Amino acid sequence: MSSRFRASLLFLGAAALTLAACEREEHHSRSKPIGETVPAGSSPQTIYPGGSVPPALDARAKLFNNNANAISMGQTLYQQMNCVGCHSHGGGGMGPPLMDDQWRYGGRIDQIATTIAEGRPNGMPAWRGKLTEDQIWDLAAYVRSMSGLPSKDAVSSRSESMSGPTPQTLTAKPQPTNSDAAPQ
Amino acid sequence: MRRVGTAVTVIGVLAAASALISCNKNPAAKSTGPLIYAKIEGGPHALPPAAAAPADDGNWTMPGKNYASTRFSALSQITPANIGKLALAFTFSTGTTKGFEAPPLVVNGTMYIITPFPNYLYALDLTKPGAPAKWTFKPKPAAAAQGVACCDVVNRGAVYDDGKIFFNTLDGQTFAVDANSGQMVWRTQLGDIQKGETITMAPLVADGKVLVGNSGGEMGVRGWVAALDEGSGKIAWKAYATGPDKEVLIGPRFHPFYASDRGHDLGVKSWPPDAWKIGGANTWGWLSYDPETHQVFYGTGNPGPWNPDQRPGDNKWSTGIFARDISTGEALWYYQASPHDLFDHDNVNELILADIPWGNGRRPVIFHPGRNGYFYVFDRRTGQVLSATPYGYINSSKGVDLKSGRLIPVAEKAPKSGRVTRDICPASPGAKDWNPSAFSPITGLVYIPHLNLCQDEGNMQANYISGTPYVGADVKMYAGPGGNRGVFTAWDPINHRKVWEIKEDLPLWSPALATGGNLIFYGTMDGWFKAVDARNGKLLWQFKAGSGIIGQPISYRGPDGRQYIAVICGVGGWAGTIVSGQMDPRDPTGALGFANAVKDLPMKTTAGGMLYVFTLPR
Amino acid sequence: MTRRATAILPLLLGACSYQHYQSAFGNAAVEDSQFLILFTIFLVVCVVMYVLVMGFMLLGFLRSRGAAEANVVETGRHHHSHPLMRTALIGWTALIGVGLAALAIASFFTDRSMAKAATGEKLSITLTANQWWWDVQYNSSDASKTLRTANELHLPVGVPVRITLASNDVIHSFWVPSLAGKQDLIPGRESDITIVPKRTGIFRGQCAEFCGAQHAHMALVVNVDSYPDFIKWWDHQLQPAAAPTNPVTLAGYEYVTTGPCGACHNIGGTPASGTVAPDLTHLASRRSIAAGTLPMSEGNLYGWVEDPQSLKPGVKMPTIGLEPGQLHAVVAYLETLK
Repeated sequence: MSSRFRASLLFLGAAALTLAACEREEHHSRSKPIGETVPAGSSPQTIYPGGSVPPALDARAKLFNNNANAISMGQTLYQQMNCVGCHSHGGGGMGPPLMDDQWRYGGRIDQIATTIAEGRPNGMPAWRGKLTEDQIWDLAAYVRSMSGLPSKDAVSSRSESMSGPTPQTLTAKPQPTNSDAAPQ
Repeated sequence: MRRVGTAVTVIGVLAAASALISCNKNPAAKSTGPLIYAKIEGGPHALPPAAAAPADDGNWTMPGKNYASTRFSALSQITPANIGKLALAFTFSTGTTKGFEAPPLVVNGTMYIITPFPNYLYALDLTKPGAPAKWTFKPKPAAAAQGVACCDVVNRGAVYDDGKIFFNTLDGQTFAVDANSGQMVWRTQLGDIQKGETITMAPLVADGKVLVGNSGGEMGVRGWVAALDEGSGKIAWKAYATGPDKEVLIGPRFHPFYASDRGHDLGVKSWPPDAWKIGGANTWGWLSYDPETHQVFYGTGNPGPWNPDQRPGDNKWSTGIFARDISTGEALWYYQASPHDLFDHDNVNELILADIPWGNGRRPVIFHPGRNGYFYVFDRRTGQVLSATPYGYINSSKGVDLKSGRLIPVAEKAPKSGRVTRDICPASPGAKDWNPSAFSPITGLVYIPHLNLCQDEGNMQANYISGTPYVGADVKMYAGPGGNRGVFTAWDPINHRKVWEIKEDLPLWSPALATGGNLIFYGTMDGWFKAVDARNGKLLWQFKAGSGIIGQPISYRGPDGRQYIAVICGVGGWAGTIVSGQMDPRDPTGALGFANAVKDLPMKTTAGGMLYVFTLPR
Repeated sequence: MTRRATAILPLLLGACSYQHYQSAFGNAAVEDSQFLILFTIFLVVCVVMYVLVMGFMLLGFLRSRGAAEANVVETGRHHHSHPLMRTALIGWTALIGVGLAALAIASFFTDRSMAKAATGEKLSITLTANQWWWDVQYNSSDASKTLRTANELHLPVGVPVRITLASNDVIHSFWVPSLAGKQDLIPGRESDITIVPKRTGIFRGQCAEFCGAQHAHMALVVNVDSYPDFIKWWDHQLQPAAAPTNPVTLAGYEYVTTGPCGACHNIGGTPASGTVAPDLTHLASRRSIAAGTLPMSEGNLYGWVEDPQSLKPGVKMPTIGLEPGQLHAVVAYLETLK
């Protein structure tokens, strides 16, 4: 193997590695029109009677789960859409905490997106028609990051608020305790 | 020579060692005993007006005991001498686990209990052993109301009048239920949860009217007080707390004492354009009534949003006290405690009506321990501030200028957008929040259960979306000077000073009860129900309840003629949301900053909702 | 000399640039005038020094080289220079010193006079920069006269205006070259700049500190009006939005107030009270859309409302994807917001 060939191989290897990081960097600028926002349609963990198969994880999960841009936009929207007024910076208040590992309505990104879009019976407002699909999934990605679920290279390293919990880069990933968290 | 030197050294070392050992032998125990500051003066003292505080009939028909809001029971069977024998008579589990702020009502042998959401109304038969339930009324309020209630889904009480029980539900309805049968007589929908409006306050029922105020100062809800006809539930009048004079019911009879409250349409002019429509100023606290003059007195809440940079101007008619004619609702006078409020210092605390010695006669006044830390004494006829004395530690204001009536703010403590202001005292819940004090006509003192909290605050742009919070502030609270988060003060309103004080570890969020036996009852957030001597604060008796106590204790005469003390435990409210809302204590800004102040509360108590009734054994 | 220079030079230089509305030589405000004085001094001093340096360099090239000079390096003997050389070098150093001192003193005095002009302001504006738009608030001692608008400033001629600068996210910089120099807007701090406009006109400013993907599309239009015109403009801007009068604008109004628009935008007098996006109450009275991205016109409004992401990729306003009927109604309503 000539040295030039080896150099090219090395170069290709390095390029491949950087390309792998693209999942974190992809920027979605347009989603479906707001009137056509398809619900994620995932229930919280529930019984599927008669052996029926639970629905597969939504395809959008892969696009948003570890996407740095989505988590960052979600952080901005979390403040602007007043999520912070009910859920604080993950600790809760009027609404339940989002930084712990208890998920009343499911902790998978598609379940969180459904919660945001459709609302929930004990007071979570329904944002369908007020936020686009991308914005809802951006928020869902950020909500997951408050409990340390996404990969550490995609999350925000500082919270922008006065004094909040540990930065998300240092928040430990919780051990999954039910089958909902497992597919991540 | 050397031997003498050695001996001296050895003796010296031994002496020093024994001194050091004896230093540590009795380390000062963490003292929670009362600190005495002054003596109770002899001679004439404050008394409640006779019409507003009639003679005690042994019942408890409204949360404040009477229209003067004294929370004083004249029953004197239980005294400091025999309270050691006070024992549990019976209990009742309400089945709820949210903050329990309401007192039980007792009317002629029946006890009525209104719970936090879902606002069940229970009637217990006190004539039978164990006080079994007679009926339960379930108003079935909308569950989504829980999502727009800022500070736990509490209810501050029901009221009995003329054979009916009146109460409000979280989703903005007022109900009238027949006290005997438990059947609904009428109900009126007053609030709209889509706008973020809820109702948590206890109504005031007087002169054929049911007065109700809304909540939502953190949701951009415009505040109002409505008077419903007691028989039909129809709205007789509605007075807003912001906006044009016509809607605030300000007319020719309005004579505010101070110049800054005089003008036309100040409820519009003291706000940026349109900001008054989402301006807050809600009446979610206490109303008092003077039957002699037919005047109702109440306070208004904070202006919205918390971020003051978004609402330049005095923001009338927030954080103030209104006096109105109860039949028409016309405003008679107004005083603003915190113009252009910077710290969420709602002014909805109790207004205790009293007559104080003045010159050769007596002057009708209102005692008001304000949220901003000042104990106000107002002339009840004009709204003039006779005195405003700090009853807690304040560094965010310098005092109240009695000439202009205005609060003098400290500029460095004003929260600013994009920055964090630290060490603001008192914190947002103030030197005292909603939990009312009691006034004893025997000692003439006001018994104030309150807070010692300071905070850091960082503000940012608040976005208004109806049905969501409109705040714009990150807050973190912690204990004030001294390290204790709560304090119980016996205050002399004539001489403007503390008489005695008990420091409590946890914030005090429970109201106080004063009895004719010279006893004061209050509860702590970790569940201790305490009785102290009204004269010197000495702890005489305590009982550990199953959950923290934030509800009004009452005293009544049972069908058997004995004096009973009743309280319902159930930690929650703004202070206890960390338990009742199962919050995560790792976020210090949770629950609008309260989570940081009571991070240890989940270790000390759990959620509950149990009635305890005590009496002396036969 | 100075005053004529400030008059002539900018004209000469201005003739070179056609952008009178965005030029540091625009000389439209007291601050810019002072900058121009300083610029002129610098220019003169530097030109003189440049000419001298070039002159001496040419002299050095053109002088013939004698044989004696060629041997200098090899023999290492001490070389006797021209008798005037020493004096010339000393004089040159002194000249540099004097020149630098003059420039420093001129800078100092310019700074001082700019600071002096910054007192006694009669108008107070708070400018908050966001990615990528300008939030403008006119302050007043009468709270009900507080005005909130976006991306456009109106200033009265001859009146000192103090602009308090804040930022909601990253560092931006306020720069209207015809009026004044740059001043940064730093999150967590408040800075300020005082401007005293000298003549009426329309000027363009832009963000001068890289602030993200659309930094280039964050411009600001400054209208300097006569005082009566300014007051008229302020009073008009305080009026709530015009109510819809026909079914199309009514449909647009309903979509704007109940749909996604009201969650971010404020339109005075309507339920839409969002604060995190530009105030739209008098959108149609402005000269540009999206902070100078597009000139205001019906077609551009259509394009912007339908798909802001293709015109200003990465902007915080999402592409909603309105249906054609909704788009017509919304744009028709927005056009009534004069």
